[in-house]
Amino acid sequence: MTEILIKNGFVVDPKNKINCEKMDIAIKDNKIVKKVNDKNAQIIDASGLTVMAGGVDIHSHIAGAEVNTGRIIRPEDHYKDPVRKTPITRAGTGYSIPSTFVTGYRYAAMGYTSVFNGSIAPMKAKHAHEELNDIPLLDKGTYILTGDWWFVLENLAKGNIDECARLVAWLIHSTRGYAIKVVNPGGLESWGFGRNVHSIDDQVPNFCITPREIMRGLIKVNKKLNMPHTIHLHTNNLGVPGNYQTTLDTMKALEDLSTDGKPVAHITHVQFCSFKGENWRKFKSGAEDIAKYMNNHTHMTLDMGQVTFSDTTTMTADGPFEFSLYELGGHLKWVNSDVETESSGGIIPFHYKRNSPVSALQWSIGLELALLINDPWKIFMTTDHPNGGPFYDYPKVLAWLYSKKAREATLKKCHKSARKKSLLPSIDRELSLYEIAIMTRAGTAQALGLPNKGHLGVGADADVAIFNINPETLDIAQKYRTARKAFANAVYTLKDGIIVAKDGQIVNSQVPGRTIWVDAQTKDPCRIDDDMKRKFKEYWTIEYENYPVTDHYVKISDKLAIKASV
Amino acid sequence: MSKTINNVVCPICGCLCDDLEVTIENNEIVKMKNGCAVCEAKMVHGYKSEERILKPMIRKDGKLVSVSIDEAVKKAAQILTDAKYPLLFGWSSTVGEAQRIGVELAEELGATLDNCCSVCHGPSVMATQEIGIPAATLGQIRHRADLIVYWACNPWASHPRHVERYTAFTDGRFEGSEWKNYLQKLKADSGRKKIEMASKRIARVEPPIKPQVCFTGPPPPMLEHKPGRKMIVVDVRKTMTAEVADYFLQIEPNRDYDVIEALRCLVTDQELDVDKVGGIPVDTLRDVADAMMNCEFGVIYFGLGMTQSLGRFRNIEIAIALARDLNRKTKFIISPMRGHFNVTGANTVFAWQTGYPFALDFSQGYPQFNPGENTAVDLLKRGDNDATLIISADPAAHFPSVIMQNMLKHPLITINPDMNAISRLGDVVFPTQWCGIEYSGTAYRMDAVPITLKKVVEAPPGILTDEELLIRILEEVRAIKIKRGEPVGQTEAKFTHPNTTKTPPVNTAQKKPKRATKKKVA
Amino acid sequence: MVTLTAIRTFNIPIQAPCITPENFADKTIAELKKLPLTEGNRNVTLGDLFKIEQSPTETPNIILNGDLSKVKRVGQAMKSGEIVINGNIGMHTGEKMAGGKIVVNGNAGGWTGSEMKKGAIEIHGDGGDYIASPYRGNDLGMKGGLITIDGNVGTDVGCHLKGGIIKIKGSAGRFLGYHMTDGVIYVEKDCDVRAGACMTGGKIVIGGALEILPSFTIDSVKPKVKVDDSTNIVGPFYVFLGDRSERGVGKIFANKVANPALKFYEKYL
Repeated sequence: MTEILIKNGFVVDPKNKINCEKMDIAIKDNKIVKKVNDKNAQIIDASGLTVMAGGVDIHSHIAGAEVNTGRIIRPEDHYKDPVRKTPITRAGTGYSIPSTFVTGYRYAAMGYTSVFNGSIAPMKAKHAHEELNDIPLLDKGTYILTGDWWFVLENLAKGNIDECARLVAWLIHSTRGYAIKVVNPGGLESWGFGRNVHSIDDQVPNFCITPREIMRGLIKVNKKLNMPHTIHLHTNNLGVPGNYQTTLDTMKALEDLSTDGKPVAHITHVQFCSFKGENWRKFKSGAEDIAKYMNNHTHMTLDMGQVTFSDTTTMTADGPFEFSLYELGGHLKWVNSDVETESSGGIIPFHYKRNSPVSALQWSIGLELALLINDPWKIFMTTDHPNGGPFYDYPKVLAWLYSKKAREATLKKCHKSARKKSLLPSIDRELSLYEIAIMTRAGTAQALGLPNKGHLGVGADADVAIFNINPETLDIAQKYRTARKAFANAVYTLKDGIIVAKDGQIVNSQVPGRTIWVDAQTKDPCRIDDDMKRKFKEYWTIEYENYPVTDHYVKISDKLAIKASV
Repeated sequence: MSKTINNVVCPICGCLCDDLEVTIENNEIVKMKNGCAVCEAKMVHGYKSEERILKPMIRKDGKLVSVSIDEAVKKAAQILTDAKYPLLFGWSSTVGEAQRIGVELAEELGATLDNCCSVCHGPSVMATQEIGIPAATLGQIRHRADLIVYWACNPWASHPRHVERYTAFTDGRFEGSEWKNYLQKLKADSGRKKIEMASKRIARVEPPIKPQVCFTGPPPPMLEHKPGRKMIVVDVRKTMTAEVADYFLQIEPNRDYDVIEALRCLVTDQELDVDKVGGIPVDTLRDVADAMMNCEFGVIYFGLGMTQSLGRFRNIEIAIALARDLNRKTKFIISPMRGHFNVTGANTVFAWQTGYPFALDFSQGYPQFNPGENTAVDLLKRGDNDATLIISADPAAHFPSVIMQNMLKHPLITINPDMNAISRLGDVVFPTQWCGIEYSGTAYRMDAVPITLKKVVEAPPGILTDEELLIRILEEVRAIKIKRGEPVGQTEAKFTHPNTTKTPPVNTAQKKPKRATKKKVA
Repeated sequence: MVTLTAIRTFNIPIQAPCITPENFADKTIAELKKLPLTEGNRNVTLGDLFKIEQSPTETPNIILNGDLSKVKRVGQAMKSGEIVINGNIGMHTGEKMAGGKIVVNGNAGGWTGSEMKKGAIEIHGDGGDYIASPYRGNDLGMKGGLITIDGNVGTDVGCHLKGGIIKIKGSAGRFLGYHMTDGVIYVEKDCDVRAGACMTGGKIVIGGALEILPSFTIDSVKPKVKVDDSTNIVGPFYVFLGDRSERGVGKIFANKVANPALKFYEKYL
């Protein structure tokens, strides 16, 4: 039984409406409690420091077949960032796609304690879980690619929402997943024969369904299952100039599905979906239109997918997008990885350069979105690691958000397109620590439906990050470098009530972190009869019995059992 | 008493067929359904080999004598910690769980770590690192491919069910099986042969000797007109797979690179200055290129004939470039025919733990990767290492003799279930269980789809699994290092979250024994 | 000048990136002795492996004596000064070199001058594989500088070459100048198969026999070719353009006299 008292810190806890108040946080075992006995408790003196809940990353590609293929094809990227073993930590390599252990260490050093994995193909879920087991110090969950699963397409085409819901519940359960991920709905199936869909009303070849119907259908399914998170959506036409229109169409198409004003879908890495202009030469920012729409609606949440100017590796289940990126030229490597009946995928190493007009504008689009959307509970900070940049660049992104000075400094070094074709230079908004805490912790935890994360109220998980920022003396907007350094190296990171990192160094790597997964219990369980099994045999090349992820693959399992209304 | 277990996974080749029906009597596999001949040979007969090692052995005065597991582990750990540059090699025929420990052991020792892929499909991995790869899982081929090219491989012998389960002879959603057509062709062929034989007998004329090396046949007209799936085989000799194919292209040995380069030019509509490439007339190649461009979904499967012949990973690089170019015209996929059942897994596990798939050197305290420098064959050829651990592999049967001589200059530890060639040469010889038969674990199919191998029978008493054994060695290595006052890594903690309800295991057969119980097993 | 002489034969690979002129500058013998390097997985010091002597002469900055074929990464990322190696040297010598000079009076291992930017490497013996080629997965080939090799070289020399000159007095292995985009490679004797594969620019000059890939096309016959400012090689040479599978415009100069097998290309001229 351990007790910890974090004393005299400036607590920033938006969920409980606490903004930089000097107070103590008490921890008993792995939970935040009202108070602990001062005498027995270990005291952490946080005077002059900012105390926040541990960071919750809503979208980051940290594990799975796709990520690992990315690792394999980039020896030159690892070569420049070797990580030596210590008596406490394992060896590995870093840069754009770090090895599993290094992923855990570096997240923890920045005060992050929960990370949700962007996407995995259900068939390769075991692989993702094996990797998640090897990522220490973080609670993890993973989204399951469901949007182009043949069972979903067939049932939604027939209008069988209930049947589809039961199948999706079975799939999420058998892959130990956390949420429904939809990537370029209909496009991945079309990519099976090298084609794509180009609007939300294009027909998906061979399946008599459109992306609009897939998205709407899966939102209905998601609601019927009472999933904690909304559907996690990667829109059609991602990365194509002019796609902001598709994004707006998508958002409009889902408007009526929100009945209680709550979000029904989360559009991820929205920066890549906010391009204006007919082609790359006339490429402009569409952030203003998206932001205007978002400021008037509540049925969506977004995350940034910020570009950070680094030599990184783009990877997505959107196979056709990666191929079109490859076709733009100048790329050494292109990986395509289709998965039968479920998904596709692609990888391209990509260097976002400051002097490239497209990269520079992409950089400003991401920031425009975050700054023009007034409510920080609607848009969260990510880089879509590693697509926009590796997650170690988060402090940089935060600096751009809370400091106009930091933005100006980068704008000066960027290609002029960033200044000319976007509104960024005219935006004066500078986010406060309170808003930062929403975009990195409170908001993400709320969007993910995690009541015990992202805040420091009684009963919350004892995941705490303490940063060397004194809100009384440090003007973060002016001294953005100091604050950036503070966000990169948390003074303390506590995971489950254990100090795991101190001053950006790992001091305890023996906290494995849980894998959070959803067990949506339907009234009638999904009937897997002989007919169904025959279908499995026809659709997949592995047998039904060998398909599900067994408990062996989830080292520390945290099942979130929910009652579905179907 | 006999029982039948369904959906058993075959631990032989990269296909990892998972539909076997195994009948067990008295803790022995007596019958097996659905498997190929290779599978039957191992699953029904091979694993019961009389050469099975039952006790750990240590070489004393030139002879292997049985010892206790503790003594053998101590000796092995001593050898490994004394060595300045030990090599840990093998890994492709064991499960992912053991490979994980292998990386930890290599890291603790500062050893070089390499897996069998460096002598099979390592070049494929290296080519992927240079240029990427358009790949797909096997089911995608089953459902969609209408052009299947087997290049420099002979699945009929090496992956016997590949054609029948995943490619030409399987029914997919959008493409049907060519099995019936093949049977008809076979019948027609045998009928024709009978007539030929009869007429020969009548005429008593010796048949002319067919040229063996160079391609002499006519251009392939069938490729244009044949409905359904088409199968092309490219090889240096007419294999059994070639017999099944719709078209066979016999190229001169070591000319794969030139032929593919020519195809790449033809695919981009360029004229060639030469008339023949690799023994094949350019007109024929043009027809092949047309077939590739005009298919709906094409795939190239390549084998060791390409990865280990002249040019090695450059051959693959160029083949991937061809597939990549073809994607501008149609959909095209290329995949290696990975050999051992979990050689893909070795790459996968090594990569997520270290960032690199094979050819690792931990001597600097962090992983360094460089095939040609840290790969087993190159390392041993230069005579760099000073101790070797071989697990689930038999290099003695496959490595060049000069390399084996260098290996045997230094202490050798082996971990194999039976007394194969390398075990006979070992200084410390560990027995182990047959994974996929006697214990379960994860293996990765040739397309990197993870599948859980099943345990179907009990191992002989006292024999540890690879994972358990490696943990024992690792613990002993750490104990020795602590005695020497050197810093060591931490053993993974048995961490339990008080508020987490760990769901009880559904299938106890698939549950690994916990580390805490290791000592008892010993 | 610092002279390092191997105390014993080395059986285990030694990684010695610390041996560079920059690192040795202004150090006393006692300090030099303490420089860390690794022998296999053991940490050792320079003094453990080498006898170290200092003399007031300026150049070369470092002399290494003995059979050092197991010593890797000597002169890694060096920027100036000169290293002379009397004996064989191991892999990665002069990797990422940005200036200065390395002279090897013996054979050099693989990846010598890998990803080199500037400077000069002279090998008065044979060279290994991947000389002046980038690390795995990279296209950062040699950018500038000069490498001369008196003997033969292995395979994959000058991959992704982006500039600079490689002169080989002996013969070269296969895949010479793979994927090169600029720069010059000159081989005085024969060249194994697939020279210039996937090249998109630059020049390969072969004095001896070679084989031309089908993806190259003949351009012309030239009486002589310029290798660098001071050297003109007299032919005549067949000039091939390629690699057309990469839409390249690299040039291979193949000696007409040494390559009678290429005569049939003349019909296209």
